[in-house]
Amino acid sequence: MLEASEKAILIVDDEEVMREFLSEVLEDFLVETASDGNEAISKMKHKTYDLIITDMKMPGVSGEEVVQFAKKTCPDSKIIVISGYSSLFSVGNTTRFGISAFLSKPFTIKQIRSEVEKSLTKNKKNNQGESGAGNA
Amino acid sequence: MSFLGKFRNISLREKFIIVVSLVIVSSMLIISGYLTKRQSEIYYQELVNRGQALVANVAYNAELGVILETEGDLNELLKAVARVDDIVYAQILAADGRVLTEIGSDTREGLSLFYMNAEEMPAPDRYTQKRFFDAEDIEYIEIVYPVQTRKQQLSRENLGTVFGFRDDSLAVGYETIGHIRLVVSTADLKKEINRSETASIILTLMVVFSAIIIMTAFVRIITQPIKTLVDITDQISKGDLGKTVSIDRRDEIGLLAESFNRMIESLKMSQQEIEEYNRTLEGKIIERTHELEDAQSQLIQSEKLAGIGQLAAGVAHELNNPLGGILGYAQFTLEKMQKKNIAQLTEKDYESFKKYLRDIESQTRRCKAIVQNLLRFSRSSSKVEFSEININQVLEETLTFVDHQLVMNQIGLVKELDPEMPAIQGNPGQLQQVFTNMIINALHASPAGTQMTITSRYLPPLGEFPGAIEIDFSDQGVGISEENLKKIFEPFFTTKEVGKGTGLGLSVSYGIIKDHGGEIKVKSKVGVGTTFSIIIPLEKRAAAVDKTDVEKQ
Repeated sequence: MLEASEKAILIVDDEEVMREFLSEVLEDFLVETASDGNEAISKMKHKTYDLIITDMKMPGVSGEEVVQFAKKTCPDSKIIVISGYSSLFSVGNTTRFGISAFLSKPFTIKQIRSEVEKSLTKNKKNNQGESGAGNA
Repeated sequence: MSFLGKFRNISLREKFIIVVSLVIVSSMLIISGYLTKRQSEIYYQELVNRGQALVANVAYNAELGVILETEGDLNELLKAVARVDDIVYAQILAADGRVLTEIGSDTREGLSLFYMNAEEMPAPDRYTQKRFFDAEDIEYIEIVYPVQTRKQQLSRENLGTVFGFRDDSLAVGYETIGHIRLVVSTADLKKEINRSETASIILTLMVVFSAIIIMTAFVRIITQPIKTLVDITDQISKGDLGKTVSIDRRDEIGLLAESFNRMIESLKMSQQEIEEYNRTLEGKIIERTHELEDAQSQLIQSEKLAGIGQLAAGVAHELNNPLGGILGYAQFTLEKMQKKNIAQLTEKDYESFKKYLRDIESQTRRCKAIVQNLLRFSRSSSKVEFSEININQVLEETLTFVDHQLVMNQIGLVKELDPEMPAIQGNPGQLQQVFTNMIINALHASPAGTQMTITSRYLPPLGEFPGAIEIDFSDQGVGISEENLKKIFEPFFTTKEVGKGTGLGLSVSYGIIKDHGGEIKVKSKVGVGTTFSIIIPLEKRAAAVDKTDVEKQ
């Protein structure tokens, strides 16, 4: 994997399987998980993450609110949205939402790795929303 | 009126006989009455003429007897006259009224034969007639005629003619020297008339009698076939068309029978046609009913499929979540296995693989459950099976498919599900269809940023009320106008644009809830929002079923 083991990543998903899977995939990073939006927001209050990977549809506080909060409190954090709704975002409009990438479930290990790598190495200023993922 | 009524009720034959008899009797009476009267007039006149002739004759022959007053001769004269039967009394009177002679009975009771006064005596050459009746109502005619003699110039020269010769040239005039009185009885005449009356009555009766016999026979000839017709009509009216009328005649009755037979024939044919039509009609009805049922179930099915189309995104999301896990773990396993060969695999790797495979298994099961749920929803409703279900669970399952749409349309969802919901008898697939319809309808009516509230409530039994469950779907949408509110459950009524709705959703939902013994109520205010309430009563026995806590959030 990458050398960036000091990078902190927050994984937000109500699906336990997804949280576990992502944790294992990204085991080289400092991974923390949150099972809903509320937990994620409270964690973000205490720590600044380099990358936030969040699901959209969750009970209680939704992924949308998590994104809003992240952008407000730590604008340097990169955001990757993962969702079962392939139609929510389309390739190209991720910029509009100010997120690095959108991955629709189910995605491959390769996709998530490449997106994570891209967003963490990307310069903040020219973070083009082009993602190699999207339409799986 | 009552006579007419009776007359109407008697048979044709009797009517005919009565009428014809009446005609015969009345015409006989008129004819014989006229003839009898005419005959009695003639007889009477004849009687009078004869009496007059007799009296004149006697008067002529009695001239000498009266002059000489020879009673014996005069009596002989009267006796000769009295040989005629009708003469009951005869009398010869002198000019001064003395009775010279008489024959016959003059003492009959009630008769006053000598009523004539001297003044009433007839003038010469004139009859005097009178009629009178005795106590037995027998008419008598009294005829009086003068006895005259010629006045003569008695002289010596013609003395000889006084005794023997008559010489009219000597006559200077006539002198009434007496009267002949004759009484004629009409008793014989009356008897004769009575006899002829009796004869005419007997004749009438004979004619009537023979007429009745002839008519009876004739009427039978006419009415017998009519009776046959009546009998057969009766049988036909009872539905037996097997008979025909067998009357072989060339007259009107024969023609009637012929046309009657034709009528039976065409009746038979039309009956067969009707039976045939009925038979095929039944088949046609069954066929059409089947077609209609097919069409209906196709409509319901297409409505359901339309619903599924709307659910597709939700279903995809539901499936994508576990698929994400499956794909990830499968790749992960492969990756790890490709990195090392079997000898290099550690106990830890082996444990990881087991965990991955277990996760893949459980996520696959989840996919299966989702697909089954969808299948249950889309299954044709031709066989509806009821089972014990929990409404909250059905609502949740429905929401997993549709809440994505709410998210997409930025509609907030508030769930207020009563944890104390009793189980009800129902078909989960059908109820899911109804709930989906309610939610999608609300969604289409709701502008972004509004809220939808789904409430489930248990209404416990109270007295006669067996208890019920209520599910409310409230939105803050455009609302339904009062005019449309009456029509929303009608099939094919839709306010949505062409292609967006089948117009069947609510009518199908209504039918489904009816099948569950429940009802759908609507409250709406234009610009404020709409609430659809589904109320399904508990069956009495179901009310006792344990309440299960099904809150699963």
